[in-house]
This record gives sequence, structure tokens and C-alpha cells, in this order.
Amino acid sequence: MSSAPPPDAGSSVPAVEMHGISKRFSDVVAVDGVDLQIGDGEFFALLGPSGCGKTTTLRMIAGLDIPSEGRLAIFGEEVASWPPDRRPVNTVFQAYALFPHMTVAQNIAFGLQMRGIRGPDADRQVAEATALVQLEGMEHRRPSQLSGGQQQRVALARALVNHPKVLLLDEPLGALDLKLRQEMQVELKALQREVGITFVFVTHDQEEALAMSDRVGVMSEGRLLQVGTPAEVYEHPASRFVADFIGRTNLLEGTTESPSAVRLDVGAVVTAANELDAGSPAALSVRPEQVRLHRRGEAPEGDPCLDGVITDATYLGHAFVYTVAVGRTVGAGGTSSGDRAATITARSETGSAALAAGEPVSVSWSPAATTVVAD
Amino acid sequence: MPPLRRAKPAAAQPTEAEPDAPASPTPTGPEAPASLTPAEVTAQRRRRRTGTLMATPGALYLLIFFVVPLGLITVYSFATRTSTGRTSLSGWNLNSYERIADDVIGGIIARSAWLAFLTTVLCLVAAYPFAYYLATRPPRLRARLLVLVMIPFWTNGLVRIFAIRFLLGSNGPASALSEAMGFGTFRILFTPTAVVLGMVYGFLTFMVLPLYVALERMDWRLVEAARDLYASGAKAFWRVTVPLTRSGIVAGCVLVFVPSFGSYVVPEILGGAKTLLIGSYVARQFQAARNWPLGAALSVLIIVAMLVAVAINQRNSANAERTQGVTR
Repeated sequence: MSSAPPPDAGSSVPAVEMHGISKRFSDVVAVDGVDLQIGDGEFFALLGPSGCGKTTTLRMIAGLDIPSEGRLAIFGEEVASWPPDRRPVNTVFQAYALFPHMTVAQNIAFGLQMRGIRGPDADRQVAEATALVQLEGMEHRRPSQLSGGQQQRVALARALVNHPKVLLLDEPLGALDLKLRQEMQVELKALQREVGITFVFVTHDQEEALAMSDRVGVMSEGRLLQVGTPAEVYEHPASRFVADFIGRTNLLEGTTESPSAVRLDVGAVVTAANELDAGSPAALSVRPEQVRLHRRGEAPEGDPCLDGVITDATYLGHAFVYTVAVGRTVGAGGTSSGDRAATITARSETGSAALAAGEPVSVSWSPAATTVVAD
Repeated sequence: MPPLRRAKPAAAQPTEAEPDAPASPTPTGPEAPASLTPAEVTAQRRRRRTGTLMATPGALYLLIFFVVPLGLITVYSFATRTSTGRTSLSGWNLNSYERIADDVIGGIIARSAWLAFLTTVLCLVAAYPFAYYLATRPPRLRARLLVLVMIPFWTNGLVRIFAIRFLLGSNGPASALSEAMGFGTFRILFTPTAVVLGMVYGFLTFMVLPLYVALERMDWRLVEAARDLYASGAKAFWRVTVPLTRSGIVAGCVLVFVPSFGSYVVPEILGGAKTLLIGSYVARQFQAARNWPLGAALSVLIIVAMLVAVAINQRNSANAERTQGVTR
């Protein structure tokens, strides 16, 4: 696991620090030995498919679940056994969990009231938070009278009004339609810069995670597989799961021959940018936009190259997506002579000449753009 | 998804289009859209006629055995009692109603209301934690526990009340225990305390069930949200759980208060001569005292009290529907 240090940390004490955090629900291990440091002022995304333990991890930071094992500190204070109302964190819940029997203003004022802040001071802070999320004029409405986007803003204001040290967001954009979601992504990112609070964001949407966060932690089956900047995680996935989950990729099966060379099942021995132990099953990850297509035999010397046949061409407006069959199906004269077939997805800009299904082609890529991942 | 909401012209908001609720009823009825083919109109009429036909037996039954006697009671309450104890259906007057303010009768009404109030409060205090426990169990266990709650409810009421009488009697186990512990025999049977205990036992199910329904529908994520917003467990309960289960609380209170107020069997068996309640008093007017107009007037009073309680409950559940409609 490549564990890059949090970039430009505001203070030397991490906002959230987890050591060997596990959570078991009767027989099920929801979170399994997570070590994680989130820096002060960071926008951190916990990314993974549903059921991977990301929400449980978030709930443990909030205090809504108590870890079965491990240490958890928020700004240096051990909080693992603290109840949620003692922790300096607030949560924007999935589906928002707004109080239906209270108005927008009452919802936002709730946290202040519970901490004994009332009167003009509370009114001023509620007004500020309302303005921050642009909900002026909605103060006296009930949550049921608001649209999904507005409810989301109330949930944000209700949490931010308390000036939490860490704001936890559990799939906050999941219930919004695509267009609104994209707007809110930009807005949330801007808001985080404005308030300077550490955001921990849980999502299953990898594009959202890449677009919004300073660093991403990828989880699967309770484990934290990789932590890094979006570019690190995308370009150098640490495992097959990460390569496959983040963006689209071609995974070519094979066996490592030397630390950085892989014998692919479709034939050809190729090198990759990283190293693995020799002799183990592995896969080569090549991103579709890194795959170059050439007419058969016109591939430049030096780079890894496979011959194949286009089986499908899809026009997307700004790009073509081609599916290329390589390996066993390739006719005589091809360089690939493996005993297995595979398909490779390639993307090319629409400016280049279009290729049709059935055309024999060669695909190549730069070794620096590929990663070999273990099973 | 918009909430399922009864089309109510008074509550309708101008921004919400409710195509099913036209502003004025058309000849074909409120649910008929503007344009219908003759065949559709015929089909609709036939459907409505079938519906009326199916409702007839029940409606007739209620008319004969409920509406007519109720009408008779109301009529009798304005009638005159002759000196021989007969009821003369002439000389209509309000004398019976005026007697409600009498010290004796007023006292009985006040005592009945007070004991019904006590019963309601005790039921609420006993039932809320229980319903809370029930509603937070896994669904399978919930169903089984619910059956256990229903068993006493299905058991013959008289048997249950006589069981209590045995328990509380001066030769009963409760007294024996008290004596063994050195507190002496206790005399609780034939006191208001015994009546309240009996009514709490008898009506507890009426409190548990609506509370259970409200708590079972409760969105516990809201409690988590409150805890996350610095509310202690107790504060989250009072500020979130209680307001959101208010409809169940009001429904339960109405369902317990109304039968407690007019209760007859329990006070007759567990209450002493000193604990005369309105139910027994009404019965006495129709039987021993032979004052039907007074009995009828008091019955009307009980019915009015019940109607008020039902109205409160109706408004309460409509409110709950409105405030909690969309977010769940």
C-alpha cells in the first residue's frame, strides 16, 4: 500500500488518525485493520463499492459505531470510546436525516441549542450558515417542502454551523440527479476551501472521488487497499481491484517473469512501470486512452505491441471506443501467438481516421503508462 | 416520490397540482375526470352501485343497533321522569342536563375523569418503554412478542378482572407478601387505587399498540443525527423521538382515556361503594333509580367526551401525516 503523506498539512497533528481499526458485527467483519491518517484541512474521499466498509469507517469517526479494535484519534485526542455528542465532528447523512418536525432554521440551530448556544448569538450563526449554503428565505419551511438539492444544503448548514473540526459526508450527493450532482461537486469543493475544515467524504462513485478530493482511500471488503492522490491511484493502482474499480482499464492476465516483466497469456512479454515478485500470477493494467491503434504492421518499434482485429467501434462524439480482439483469434503473421484470447478497449480522438469493425490492427502502448498488479 | 396523501381541499397547497381533487364536484362525482365516454360512465355507475350494495348489510346493522338506540338515548335525555319512576315522553326539558352540575353528579364526573387521567398517564409511562423495546427488536422477535401482548387482550375481560381481585384481596398473595415483609395486611381492594390498577391492566394494550406502530415507523437515523449534533441520549429522546411518535402518544391516550372514563365493569368489581364512577352511576339510573332521562343525559355526555377525543386524534394524525410525509 503506497501511503503518501497528506499534502500541505495545516498542522502537524493529523485530523483523523486510525491504527488497526476493525469493526465486527456478530460474525461479519465490516472493517478490517484500517490504518489511515487524514491531514488537517484535507478533502479526503473514502471510495469503494457498497458493503466495502467505508460507511462503517465514517460512522466510527462520528462515534455512531464503536470500533471492535484499534485506536482512533481526532486531532490527537483518543476518541474511540467517546459518544458521538462529545466528538468535534459532524455528519452530513446519506438521505440527509433532517428533522421533519422542525423548520429549516430549527434544524440548523439544533446543534447550537444542544451546546447551550441560544439567543441572538445563535440566530446570527444560523443566519450565517443559511447564507453560506444560499438558503435565505427558506428558514421557515419544513424539510418536506424542499427539493432534494435544498435538503442537501440544509444538511450541510446544520453540520457546518457547529464549526466541526472534521466534517463527515456519507454519500451526500447520491440522492441527486446527475446535473445537480455535478454542480454540487464544484460547490462542495469550493465550500471546503472557503471554510477550511477537513472533509471526509464517502462515495461509491469513483469519478466523484477523483474530481473532488485531495486524496482518495480505496476500500474493498473491509480493507483499505490504497491511499493516494487521485493521479497516483489512477495511474499506479496498487492492486487488480483498484485498477479495475478506478476508471476503465484493460487487464491482461499473465505471469511475472522478472520483477517488471510480465508474460501475457495472449503472448508477448512486456515490461511495466512498476515491479512485482517474479513467478506469480499477475495482470497488466493498460488504460484505454493509453492504447494506441495502428494499421497492422505499422506499429513503431520498441513499445509493447499486440496484433488483433477490431470487433466493435463505438462513436461517442468526442472519441471512438474500439474493442480489439487479440491473442488466439489473430491470423497468421501476427506477433501474438499465445493460447488465450483477450479483448482490449482503446479510445481515440475523433480527429483521427475512423477504423471499422473487422479491420486488422496492431495495438501498442508505452510501458511507462502501464502497471502490473498482483491478484 | 410524493407522499400518499388524502386529497383534502383545505390542506391542499396551491403549488401542488392535485388532478384528483377538482374544485367543485361535477354531476358524475368527484373522481370522474372531465371527459369520459358513455361506456366509461356506465361502468363507473355500475361500480358505484355494487359498492353501495356491498355496504348495505353492515350499514343496516349499524343503523338498527347503533344509530337508532343512540337517537333514543338522546331523545330520552330531554324527557321527564314521572313520580312513579316512569319516563314521560312529553314536556321536553333540560332538567337532566342541569343536574350534571350538581355536587354529587359533578363529583362523580370529576372523579371519573381524574381516575381516567391517572390510568392514561400510568399506561403511557408503562407502555412507552415497552413499545420502544418491542419496536427495536429484530422483526421476527417483534412479531412473537406482539402475539404475547395480544394474548391478555383476547382473554375474557371478566376473568382478568376477577384475577386481579384475587391478587389484591386481603387474603390474596399481594397481601400475604406484604404481611410476610412486616408491612401488615394491605387494603387496596375496593379503593380507587384498585380501580386504576385494574383499568391500567385492562387498557394497556390500547396504549402499547399505537405507540408500537409509531415507534416502529420511527426513522432511527434521525436519532443518530441528533446524537451527532451534540444531543445526549436523553435529549435526543425528548427532542426527536417523542415529537416524532406524538401521533402514537395521542392515539394511545385517547384510546385509553375514553373507555376508562366510561368504564363500568372494572369499577363494579374492584371499586368499593365509595368509588362510584360515571359508568356505574349511569347503570344505576337505568336500573335501581329508574331515572332514564338522567342516565340518558349522562350517556350523551360520555359520547360527547368521546367525540371530542376522537376529533383530537383525527387532527393529530392528519398533522403527523403532513409534517412527516416526504422525508420518510
